Amino acid sequence: MTLQHCGRKGLVMLKIKHFIQQSWLLIVASFFFGLLIAVTNAALSPKIVQNKINKRNRLVGALLPDAKNFVLDKEIEIESIQGKKEKIEVYRAMSEEDECVGWSFNADGSGFADKIELVVAVDKDFEKLAGFDVLASNETPGFGDQIKYDYYRDQFKGAPAEELKLVTSGEPKNIDAEIVAISGATVSSEAVVEIINSFLTQIKEQMQQKGQISNDRQE
Amino acid sequence: MDTLNILLIGFISIVVVKNLVFTKFLGICPYLGVSGRIDMAFGMGMAVTFVVTLSGTLTWMIDNWVLMKLGLEVTRYVCFILVIAGAVQLVEMYLRKFFPSLYESFGIFLPLITTNCAILGLCLFLNLWNINSLLEAVVVSFGAGIGFTMAICIMAGIRENLNMADVPKCLKGAPITLITAGILALAFMGFAGMIR
Amino acid sequence: MTDKSEVRTALYGQTLIAGLWRENPVFRLLLGMCPTLAVTAAVKPALTMGCCVIFVLLCSNIIVSLMRNLLKPHLRILMFTLTIATFVTIADLFLKAFVPEMSETLGPYVPLIIVNCIIICRAEACASKNGLIISVIDALGMGVGFTLTLCVLAGVRELLATGAIFEIQILALLKEGGWFVPWAAMGMPVGAFITLGLMLGLVNVITKKDA
Repeated sequence: MTLQHCGRKGLVMLKIKHFIQQSWLLIVASFFFGLLIAVTNAALSPKIVQNKINKRNRLVGALLPDAKNFVLDKEIEIESIQGKKEKIEVYRAMSEEDECVGWSFNADGSGFADKIELVVAVDKDFEKLAGFDVLASNETPGFGDQIKYDYYRDQFKGAPAEELKLVTSGEPKNIDAEIVAISGATVSSEAVVEIINSFLTQIKEQMQQKGQISNDRQE
Repeated sequence: MDTLNILLIGFISIVVVKNLVFTKFLGICPYLGVSGRIDMAFGMGMAVTFVVTLSGTLTWMIDNWVLMKLGLEVTRYVCFILVIAGAVQLVEMYLRKFFPSLYESFGIFLPLITTNCAILGLCLFLNLWNINSLLEAVVVSFGAGIGFTMAICIMAGIRENLNMADVPKCLKGAPITLITAGILALAFMGFAGMIR
Repeated sequence: MTDKSEVRTALYGQTLIAGLWRENPVFRLLLGMCPTLAVTAAVKPALTMGCCVIFVLLCSNIIVSLMRNLLKPHLRILMFTLTIATFVTIADLFLKAFVPEMSETLGPYVPLIIVNCIIICRAEACASKNGLIISVIDALGMGVGFTLTLCVLAGVRELLATGAIFEIQILALLKEGGWFVPWAAMGMPVGAFITLGLMLGLVNVITKKDA
């Protein structure tokens, strides 16, 4: 009985020894690589985070020139165009004197070819749009790509922050709720208008519910 | 009803609109190598579908339930590739034991699939596209495999006919395949904008 | 003694040149197609991707070469994969920190370097069998060859798609008073496939002439 017991234990020990012999390099290497990754990550992640902040400052700063820095105000849950629930971060733009000069948030949706990601800026009362910028898009170069250019984008600067309508012909210099589509790129133009409409109305509604923007608020 | 809608749209969009081969350039190496004959192409396609559905689901689960909860996103790539390699190994062992004839017909494709960009690419896209539910991840992964199979079978059919055509000598083999793939990509561009 | 070092230098030189033309990873060995098609829409991303690949190739070849006597045969591929995945993660972190716009353009194709056949093949074929110096030179040769190929392809595509190379306008665009109407198709998957196919055909013609 004791001999069998010893034998079985010995077999287990042998198996463990065999396992370690075969894979010690793997285990050591895993530790070493894990350490390498952890060190690099620790060293570089503050810079990566800073890059993201700089990018937002740069893009929205072009739309709201008085803004000096951005403070995360709240996370609002909205329903995207496809019916999915998404959490959107709404940022408050603060000027140098610590006054709220506007708000900004990211919006996305599907365009003609792929996803379109926008950053949208509105004025402090959610009355007028300050404009938008394209974070990422894969639209057809020369056609849908033109949503990045001034002809299209300028129409949003100062437009009322309510349901915008896409029209195929009109005067783009008139800043109103009608947006003139890019000729040859109706789907992309429509996509941007739809994204902004969907996100803007839902966020505005929820912000009003929370009492943030029904009247002039200065912090 | 809404979920079914999302699933259906997700499936169609990845098979046709965002086809991994023609729009995302994934899986080109086996695509060029194996699309010589339709039966081989179909076999490869099936193997890829099997592995990609399994890996997509597994990596989605690990990414959302483990890595993000523990803040270990930086180890994402290492974890994904290890899971994929492990999944392929498991599939190989399982097939060899229980379906030896199927294993024979897959032949050398199975080990080759680990380095298929499409698998790792899909796992990363699942993350990029904010796929929120497990069911959607399964459907999208399966769709990706079906899209790849469709692309490779179309190409195999064309190549079988090209063998009898008068291709200039310098273009025989990989070059004419690539040019054909380009024309196919142009055709598939017609599907863009189908999903709103 | 001089003989041996002469032979050595000749071998090093040969290994270096091999990666650039005779065994060029894209045109001759037909490896690493996926990133070639995906990032060559413009020269800048192509160059960035090329540098990443050089970095990962170098590091992985060095580590594999140092480990080559300790590797157990059936765990070999796993070790290679682990090494490569680590260095790709590190390269990706560096990209995100120092060139965030490029990191976004390249997107998911940086982690796809892990499954890039070039790196695993070099680790398997060269680094696991040769000493440190040869592995380093081989890595450099292959990496530089790959980068040059990417840049040539990207140059052609960017020139035809936008009239610029590395964002420096070379051909005057029609809408700015010039004559060139950009070929938008070159920036899209169509252009990628067709350009690569034609280039491969060209390479076949050149090498047939040599042979």
